[in-house]
Amino acid sequence: MLQKPVLGRLTVLDLVLVVLLLAAALWVWWRVETRLVYNWNWGIIPGYFLFFDEETGRWQSNLLLQGLVTTLRMTLWASLLALVVGTLLAIARISAWPSLRWLSRTYVELVRNIPPLIFIFIFYFFLSGPITELLGIADWARGLEGWQRSVVTVLFGPTNLFANFITGTICLALFEAAYVAEIVRAGIDNIAKGQWEASKALGLNRRQTLRLVILPQAVRRILPPLTGQLISLVKDSSIVSLISVQELTFSGQQISVATRKVFEIWLTVAALYFVVCFALSLLSRHLERRFGRAGH
Amino acid sequence: MTNGPLGKNQMFNRRSLLAAALAGATLGGITASTPALAQTESLVDEVVERGVLRVGVGNFVPWVFRSKTGEIIGFEVDVATRLAEDMGVEVEFVPTVWDGMIPALLAGNFDVIISGMSLRPDRMLRVNFTLPYASSGNMLGASVARMPGETSIEAFNSRDVTIAAVRGSTAASAVQAQLPDARLIQFDAEADVLQEVLNGNADAYVAAVPKPGTDAATFPEQIYLPVRETFQGTLEGFAIRKGDPDSLNYFNGWILMNEANGFLQERWQYWFTTRDWADQLPG
Repeated sequence: MLQKPVLGRLTVLDLVLVVLLLAAALWVWWRVETRLVYNWNWGIIPGYFLFFDEETGRWQSNLLLQGLVTTLRMTLWASLLALVVGTLLAIARISAWPSLRWLSRTYVELVRNIPPLIFIFIFYFFLSGPITELLGIADWARGLEGWQRSVVTVLFGPTNLFANFITGTICLALFEAAYVAEIVRAGIDNIAKGQWEASKALGLNRRQTLRLVILPQAVRRILPPLTGQLISLVKDSSIVSLISVQELTFSGQQISVATRKVFEIWLTVAALYFVVCFALSLLSRHLERRFGRAGH
Repeated sequence: MTNGPLGKNQMFNRRSLLAAALAGATLGGITASTPALAQTESLVDEVVERGVLRVGVGNFVPWVFRSKTGEIIGFEVDVATRLAEDMGVEVEFVPTVWDGMIPALLAGNFDVIISGMSLRPDRMLRVNFTLPYASSGNMLGASVARMPGETSIEAFNSRDVTIAAVRGSTAASAVQAQLPDARLIQFDAEADVLQEVLNGNADAYVAAVPKPGTDAATFPEQIYLPVRETFQGTLEGFAIRKGDPDSLNYFNGWILMNEANGFLQERWQYWFTTRDWADQLPG
């Protein structure tokens, strides 16, 4: 890709645009200053990341930091799970067995065509309760001790919120898996038919063809859209606050009720999401450039 | 090459067997877990056995809210902590979105709701309430800028009046019942309700006592109380899943006892009539 210098040729139109944007920003600021009855107090925010505990004499993390860490943890596990389930769904889509194709297609279409919020409610109230109850994971996590407890805490957060965390993660992963499946399927579809035929001619069976010939080529093509999907997963994770998963948005809600500093808190939460997502998109751009667009 | 017709057929059979087994396991699992939710063993027994009482809580000052160090504090926390102590178990709070409170209880995410939930006919159809352990009411706070100097509730029962309240709260149903002509706008969080009036987008709001009173003291230029009386009296009880008379009896007995020894009244006085706890919130 050719990169143009940022301040290449500024035209009059650019200047007009900048002036208009500045004017709009000023107008919003003026409205906020004059019309909004609100006592701004940004001073409360840092304490909700870290505070000094006089009793123990140590710095402690608070709700915003804990929420951010939970969001990052959940994003990590949900992406991995979504990747696995999504790839399996995509492979099922091209399976020789019709029932498997239909099952995968039904799942993908169903999930992609209902609003995320509804999906999460249905999953939570109808499925997550029985599943977590059946597996007994809440009691299992609560009963952990010693190093096992430490390991689970590092990987999944506080053990008393384990079931809550797992529910949110599975829910998010199953939702995102439908989108991942479409991306992977498109990647596989994009590989020329001739490759399948050539592999068959070489005596490879379907599974071998997929594993040795098709998928390695498809991976390179699906990497950019996949990272895009990962970034939107970070943002989508805020939806699970509605099923009371204690992530960043839920923490923000909790603090805003206690302090009534609604704007400071939501602006901070927005900034945190932005930083995470923007960092990820810079990273993905870097990777894309590194692995090049070879083969295109 | 094993992909002859025979190979394919064998594959099909193996796969379909596996699929049938999986489907059976899933269905079996769901039905097997249903009786557990319907309480064959009493909840109290289960809690004592587990050693942990899981309490569903919402987010309303001063019922239950977060301190500046992120801890869950409030009237409910004192009540539930004492209850767990008396049962000889640990207490675990499960912060939950208000709208999802009853569904989460029914889904088995926690054992009991102790979160200022008022007895209401529609709620009583879905869960069992204990005897009330607290009573309160809603109050109307009005915007000085938009509707100054009103002294009656009736003035707010008009199509031109916009009133804000928390979605699904008794405040919202109080508005619908007593001010049916007013336009009701609903928000998920208490903080947003007040902000809507402060911003001049609503004429008044209804919330549980003591909030409107403390708001009027905090923002004397913007908020006032047209009438001093509570708007609609409410009774708050614990809520548990239906079909468990033993546990209901246990909780009722506990509430009666702690009313007689003055514990509930003392805690209520502290959280609702004083501001001694205000230093647990940031500046």
